[in-house]
Order: sequence, then structure tokens, then C-alpha cells
Amino acid sequence: MSKRPVIWVLVGILSVLHFVLHVGLGIGRAAPDLLTIALLLMAREVGVGSAAGAGLVLGLLEDSLSVLAFGANTVAMTMVGILGALTRDLFVGDSRLFVVSYLFLGKLARDFGHWVLVGDELRQPFSEQVLVQGGIAAVYVAAIGLGLTFAVRLTAES
Amino acid sequence: MVAYAPEPEPTGSRRQVPLAVGLALLAVVTLYLGPEAEQQIAGAVQSSVLRPFIWTQETLAQARMRAGQIDALQTQLDSLTAVLSTQSALSSENRALRDLLGLAERARPDYLPATVIRPGTPGSERMFIVDVGAADGVQVYSPVVSAEGLVGVIREVRERTAVGMDWSHPDFRASAMLEDGSAYGMVENARGVTGEDDLLVLNGTAFYENLPLGALVLTSGVGVIPRGIPIGYVDETADVQGTWRKSYWLRPSVQPASVTHVLVAVSGAPEDVAEMWATDPLASDSLGGRTGLPLVGPDR
Repeated sequence: MSKRPVIWVLVGILSVLHFVLHVGLGIGRAAPDLLTIALLLMAREVGVGSAAGAGLVLGLLEDSLSVLAFGANTVAMTMVGILGALTRDLFVGDSRLFVVSYLFLGKLARDFGHWVLVGDELRQPFSEQVLVQGGIAAVYVAAIGLGLTFAVRLTAES
Repeated sequence: MVAYAPEPEPTGSRRQVPLAVGLALLAVVTLYLGPEAEQQIAGAVQSSVLRPFIWTQETLAQARMRAGQIDALQTQLDSLTAVLSTQSALSSENRALRDLLGLAERARPDYLPATVIRPGTPGSERMFIVDVGAADGVQVYSPVVSAEGLVGVIREVRERTAVGMDWSHPDFRASAMLEDGSAYGMVENARGVTGEDDLLVLNGTAFYENLPLGALVLTSGVGVIPRGIPIGYVDETADVQGTWRKSYWLRPSVQPASVTHVLVAVSGAPEDVAEMWATDPLASDSLGGRTGLPLVGPDR
């Protein structure tokens, strides 16, 4: 079984699950950022334009609930999609170390982008919002994403 | 005769880079959209793609409320021991619902009951959605209140829902006065060090006026918020500017994170609503009357 269809199905499930956890159940930060995981996994499989499009759509979905800084998530997710797709030209393979680093840095880049764009009034200190909260969230995303990556690999091989 | 031709590119790959650049520019454009365009996009997405998720949260919130009511009724039928063992959690929930019910009856029909939904996504921490909208008579800047006092104001109104900001939002301002009208000022949000411990501060009071500790601060009616809604209680002095002005920390009447059900003003609501929070026998045990510190007031 090819890996790409499995990725597409996974991206759809993760996107729905993200909004179920964050909006439907209102879990908030206790739930991982599954949209970023979905985007980062997809960016490794599609072209840079498609990844940008996916980032734009997913970011817009989040921004529709964020009246305070409309567009910040959209831009951050679009940029992460583009950067994620560009890593295919720089890094080949899917070793455990690479997957963890890719997901960790991808989530950190997404939070940094959001922090830059969110506006002075809402921006918390860099060390707190990006380094501490973003770092913890990035570890969370890397752990969940690593498990999903190996699940995809097992599914694709079967 | 070409021995080594370049590797053929996959179909459509040449279009990917211009497409990515175009989409990136489109994303940047969303940052500079006007409020109306933002509202239209957000409203369209919320009422279509995100509608099932918002509906889920509404349903869960209602289910929690019903469960709480059932538990409260069940508790009344249980033995005194069972009541005592569960008294702490149930009594606070029961008290909150009873207060809101009593307030709703006094406020009707100018204030509509609504369920508060917290999106829980980045950038929406100080915002909430209520399940009443323009069709119900809700307007921009309609005050949102609970039994304890002012929760926030409505920022955007849609057909069946509205988006509000609570008092922890940086843009929140409310003209305020002491309950007896002896001092006036402007209440605004003061960000805590960690961003998690927002406070209220009463600015602009005259230097010679020493506000009594624990005095109730109400909205003064100047501006968009009606007169007489409790905001908080005077705490210690926050700042002294020269010999002409003082500011005071307030202990907020309402902790926004704990609010699940509110009342939202509709068009035509009276400009003085102090009677809604007037002491009555039912509310006196929880609101603490209008003369003393509230039993349900926050601890800072």
C-alpha cells in the first residue's frame, strides 16, 4: 500500500480531531496541536504550493475563532507549510531523529510566527510564550507526531 | 542526439513555486483585512466547517448544566450524610445557577440567558462565543453579565451567535463609580506578569478621595455599559500620581474562566440596571448583599 493515501487520510483525521479536542471538547492546551502535525506530515509528501495551500486553509480555520489577531495563524501555518515542503530538497529520509527534529522545529516555527504576528497588545514575553510554552508544545507535538509517523509506516508496509 | 538529458520534472511541479508565493501573499493579505471582511470570513467558517464542533461544545455545556441540575435535585432527596459529603461542589454549582436564575427573572426581558463557549485556540484566550445573536436583539457592545457582575461586552454579532471579550482583554474599559457615587474612575485590565493573573485597576480617582477597602465598584453608565453592574471590590492602592490622582487594584467580581452561563443585554435594555443586583432574601447568602464583601468574591 502506498504511503501517500495513508498520509492524506491521516491529515483528514488529525484536522477533524484537532477541532473536536480544542473546540468541541474545549480541552485547550492539554490537547496537542494536531493541525500543525497534519500540516508538517503532509508537507513532506506534496509540492510547496500544495503545502502552502493546506497551511492557508488550516490557518484560516483557526483564525476564524481568533478575532483578536485575525491572519496570524493563517500566515504562520502557510509559512510552516512552505518551509516543511522545502525540507524535502534538503533532507531525505525519515529517521527517528529527523522526524523528531522536524516536528519539534516545525511547531516551534509555527508558534514563533504566531508570536511575531499576533500584535503588541496580545504578545506575551518571548521567553514565556515561545521558549517555555512553545517548547513544551513542540515536545508534545514531536512525541505525538513520532508515534503517528511509525503508525503510518507500519500501515503502508502492510 | 542528446546522450544525457535533464531529469524530467514531475507534472505540475513548475507551478508549485508561483502557487506557493501567491498563497503566501494571500495569507499576508488576511492580516490587513478590515473588521467587516474578517467578520464575514470568520462567520462563514464558523457557520459551515466549524459548526459541528461549536455545536458539540454547546451540547456538552448544556449537558453539563442539566447534569448539574439533576445532581442538585438528587442531592435534595439523599440523606443528610450524602448531602454533606457532596456539599462543597454541588452547593457552589447550585448557588451559581440559582443566582443566575434569580438574576434572569429580575432582568427579563431585557437580558437573555446564553451559554458561553470558549474556542480554546491560539489568540482567542480572552474571547468567548455566546449562543444568542442579532436575531435575538443582541448588539455590538451589549454587556454580558453573570450573577456576580460584569463579565465583558459583545464585540461582534452574527445572526444566531455573538463574539464577546471578557474584562481580561487588553481593550476592555468601563467607566465606574463607587456604589454610593462618591468616586468615579475608569476600570481597565492590568496584565499580570505571567499573562495568567489578569487584574482590574480603577484609574482616575481624585487624590483626596480615599476609597474604603472592600467597597463595591459598579459601572457608572457613562459610555456603552449600563449603570449599576458590579465590577469588583476595592483592594489596595495601585499607584499615586503626584498629588492629584490615585489608582486602586480591584478584586474582580467575576472570574471569566469560571463562567459558563451568562445574561446578554438586548436592544432596548435600560440604562440603569442596579436593581438587578439589589439585595433580596434569595441572593443575600451568595451575593453578600450590597454592603459587605461577597461570599463568592475572588481571592487574589
